[in-house]
This record gives sequence, C-alpha cells and structure tokens, in this order.
Amino acid sequence: MSLQAAPHVEGAGSPPAIRALGLVKSFGALRAVDNITFDLAPGRIYGLLGPNGSGKTTLIRLLAGLTPPTAGWAEVLGTRMPSRPNLSRIGYMTQADGVYSALTVAENARFFGAMYGVVGAEPAAAALGLVDLADRRASIVGTLSGGQRRRLSLACALIHRPPVLFLDEPTVGVDPLLRVQFWSHFRALADAGTTIVVSSHVMDEADRCDELLFVRSGKIIARGTGLEIRAQAGTADLEQAFLRLGGDVDVTR
Amino acid sequence: MSRRRVVALFRRVVSEIRRDRPSLALLFIAPIVITGLVTFILRESQAPQVTAVVVNLAGTRGQLVGSALGAALREGGATVSDVADEAAARAAIGDKAASVGIVIGTDAATGSSLTITAITNGLDPSGEASQVSAVGRAVVAAASSASGTAVPVIRHTTVYGTPTNDPITTFAPAIVGFFAYFFVYILTGVSFLRERTGGTLERLLATPVTRGEVVIGYTLGFGLFATIQVAVLMLWALGSLHVPALGPLPPFSIGLGVAVNGSPLLAFVVVVLLAVGAVSLGIFLSTFARTELQIIQFIPIVLAPQFLLSGVLFPVSSLPSILQPVVAIMPLNYAVDGLRQVFIRGADLGVPALQLDLAVLAVVAAFFATIAALTIRRDVV
Repeated sequence: MSLQAAPHVEGAGSPPAIRALGLVKSFGALRAVDNITFDLAPGRIYGLLGPNGSGKTTLIRLLAGLTPPTAGWAEVLGTRMPSRPNLSRIGYMTQADGVYSALTVAENARFFGAMYGVVGAEPAAAALGLVDLADRRASIVGTLSGGQRRRLSLACALIHRPPVLFLDEPTVGVDPLLRVQFWSHFRALADAGTTIVVSSHVMDEADRCDELLFVRSGKIIARGTGLEIRAQAGTADLEQAFLRLGGDVDVTR
Repeated sequence: MSRRRVVALFRRVVSEIRRDRPSLALLFIAPIVITGLVTFILRESQAPQVTAVVVNLAGTRGQLVGSALGAALREGGATVSDVADEAAARAAIGDKAASVGIVIGTDAATGSSLTITAITNGLDPSGEASQVSAVGRAVVAAASSASGTAVPVIRHTTVYGTPTNDPITTFAPAIVGFFAYFFVYILTGVSFLRERTGGTLERLLATPVTRGEVVIGYTLGFGLFATIQVAVLMLWALGSLHVPALGPLPPFSIGLGVAVNGSPLLAFVVVVLLAVGAVSLGIFLSTFARTELQIIQFIPIVLAPQFLLSGVLFPVSSLPSILQPVVAIMPLNYAVDGLRQVFIRGADLGVPALQLDLAVLAVVAAFFATIAALTIRRDVV
C-alpha cells in the first residue's frame, strides 16, 4: 500500500489545504527532499517527525515557497508556490526565533504585522495576548528569556491570522509548562479551521497531532494517526515504530 | 510597492540603530575625532629641527663653501657645527647628536666641480627628505649670495579657488566622502548579515514583502543616518565657532573652518548618492559573509583600494598610469572629485565635471541596489 497521498476520510469533501506533488529539492548530490507527494486536509494538525537533517525544514520551506523546488510542486490553498501574494495567508514560525533583539516586543509584532499588510495595533495586541506577552509589550526583546522569545516568535507568525501555519520545531528549548500552553494554542487554532504543519524530533509531542508524517532521508516513510502507525509497526512505542518503519533493527534501551 | 511596508522597514532600521549606542558613536563621534586629529596634525605639523654637522674634505676652498653653507643654514634656523671627518659625522647622526651630515667633497679644492654629500640616518625617509631639502635650500641661498643675485620668488595662483597653505582644504572633501562610505557600508553590512544569520531574513521573506521594498527600506533607514552624519561632519568641517578666553583657558575655536566655495547643499547631494550606493554594497556583500568578522574582512578588499585609488590620500594624477583605468571604476573617486569640485572650484550643477560625477554615482547606486535586491533571496543554508 502506498503510504504517500493516503486519502483522508475526515474532510475528504473539501479541497486539501496543502498539496505536495512529486516534490524534490536537491543540494548538489544530496536530495534533501526526495519525491514527496501528499494532500493535507484543512483544520488539522500534521506532525512532521524525523531526526535532524531528515529534510523537515527543507520540506516546510518548499511548502511555504521560500525556496524553489528542483522538481514537482507545492500548492497552498489551491495556489501553486512560490507565490508572493499567497504568503499573506501563510504563517511561518522559523526554527530560529527570527525576531529583532534591539526592538521591543510590541515593535516586533507591529513590524511583522506591517509586512503582512495588517493594519492597526489591535492584531498585534491580540497575537501578543494569545501568547501571554501582553504585559511585556514594552520590553526589549534582548532582555527576554528564551521561552518568552519563542512565544514572541509564535505571535509574529499568527499576527495576520493565517489559515495555514508552518511551525518549524516550535517547542525546542521551551519548558514543559509552556509546551502544554503552545499545544493548546495550536489545538484552538486548528479547531477554528487553521491547517497546521508542526515539525519536531520529539516523539512525545506526536500524539498531540491529528496525523503524523514520518520523514527520513527526504522521504515520507509512514503516514497515519499515532494509533495507525503503532499498529502498522507492531509496537506501542512511537520511537521504535519510527526505527522499524525506517528499516532499522530495533534498538533496545 | 507597498508604502506601508517600506515605512515599517525604515522605522525598524531607525529604531535598531537609535538604540545601538556604539554604532551611534561610530557614526557621529569617530569621524569628528579622526578629522579633528588629521586636521591638527596637518596644520600644526612642525618644520623639523635641522642640526647639521659639516665635514670639509677640500682644504681652504672647502672652508669657504662650508662657512657660506653654514651661514645660510643658520639663517634658516638650523644649528651647525664642524666635525673632522665623515666617520665623526656618521657617529654624530647615529647618536642623534645631529640630524644631517654635510660632506664637502675633495673636488671642491679644484674649483671646477662641487659635490656635496648629505648624510641622514635612513630610518625615517620622509622626515629625512625635509632635512635634505633644507640643505638644498641652503645651497641655493649660499650660491645666490655668493653671486650677488637674489633668489627668485615663485608666485602661485590657481584657476579655481585661491591657493592656500591650509593642507586640510583638499583633504576635507575627500575625508567627508570616505567616512560616509566607510561607516554606512560597515553598519549596513553587519546589520544585514544579522538578518541573514539571526533568522529574521528567512521570516521576512516568508511575508509578502518584495526584495525591492527591503532594499528601499534599508536604504532609507541607513540613508537617514548617513545624511545626519554628513550634516554633522560638514558643520564640523566647514564651521568655526570661536570661543573667547575664559579664565585660565586660552581662546579656541570649535570646528575646522575649512573654506568652501560652492553650495554645501550640492556637496550634500554628492555624499548622499555615495551613501545610498554604500547601503546596497553592504547588503550585497553580506551575501558572501557568514560572520560579522567577514564583513570586516571585506574592508581590505573593497574599501582599501578605494581609499588608495580615489585621491583621498594620494592625488589621482600621481598614480601610475597602469592604475588609471582602475581609478575610473572606483565610486569613491567620483564622490571625492565631486566634493572637490564643489568645495574648491565652487562648481554648480552647470559644470560638466560635476554632472559626470553625479551621474556616475547615481548609476553606481542604482546598479548596486539592483544586484543587492537580486541576491537577497539567496538560500541561507
């Protein structure tokens, strides 16, 4: 059975929010993304799981149109990427914080708001409220803790209320309490119709996603809900499942 | 082109620099300190003291020559003494008891020829050249008094401006241009590199902003600071505020008081065009740098040749002919020439030489802005 482009039952009536069709990205001899095809339905959280260097970030950059594909193409909300106008419908939280340390929290939010064409101070205030940074509006970002910077980074990706959200390892360096908060934000956004693609190499976050895509050496090696993948691999441990589906021998801890 | 996005980019760049005190110091205080120091050195540099020892190898005739030379040297403020032989003269110079040795050759005894050898230390060629030329002046003075004819007087006038002994007059326009170029390049290059390495550029390019908007926003932001810097530097260079004696303080003046014959506003336009090119150059070169240190490493490659080949330090006319085509492609050369046209010649927009300078600077700025915009989206891997 083909694991790629598995038809999805839920939301099957609506067109996919994100499509990848034979997507390839090569850097010299390295195929960072190697012929990936899938449809992602709107309003769901997709977990992109794989080790460092497996091609998760490159895949997200291709989907967001930040780098041109070597072959194939990506579509977001029915528009083929790269498309500059379409970027106003996409939120992207980069792996690095990607915020300006010399500016205040509010200045960062307003700046990225302006880049997305958001008018007025209200959306910036709302996004900062969502990540509990409203009381740090006037703080210079350089003085914030790592977790606060991560929250600001998320707020800057949400400011224009995008229907599609790419989150590249959003919880790296985030403490457990904040991680729970992040995931409840993500869930609330998805319930409101946002399609979210979250990359992670932390397997314990996987069960918070509606569906998982296992990435390895630029390929999707498995796709399904946490339960489906466990059943397919014949193990209750997702980490073991990842190794088995990737063709590795079991590693017993 | 979204005006809102350009304004937001401009405001962001301004807020960042405004809060960066070391950069502000680099922009506004460093050029004033350096130009002040250069001006002080150039204006107040002292004529070196000449302490001559004379060696006569030509008997009585040599003594006549020696005493005439000695008299002329003393007239010029030098200290003169006689020593027995060349070895003694060399020893005196080696011990720093004398700055120059004058040897009257044996041929002087015959009267048919006269060879005078000047001996200097050899460690400081340019300083010693002035010792040798002091000997030369003394020879001319001695010869003219011996023959009873006066030393001819050379009068110097110029087509543009008035000849001046103030060495800073030609130097000031060059240094104003160079500083604007140098500091704007460094600040933009480092700032844009931070965008690349800090992940903000990646995020910026995930928004609908265009590359052109980024370059324009940056140019306006850094252009504002370059404009203020040039304004401050011009006030400093051209102004002269005299402060009368206050209590124990002697009277002094603030500002370099460089004479300017043309419109300072026009000089301003020249520098702003140059600075706009420097912003784009900084963005473009940040593409090839991975660290802030590498931005600094571009200085010897990109800025040092311009400094050497644009008439800042060495006159363009004195450069070897093989380098002249290189001079023709140095943007700074056109700014320095344009500034000299305005400062010294008093050129207005009707002067073809200034028109050429402005046109070249505008083309260079547009060229670098285009390639900067094209290289912004280079993958940050």
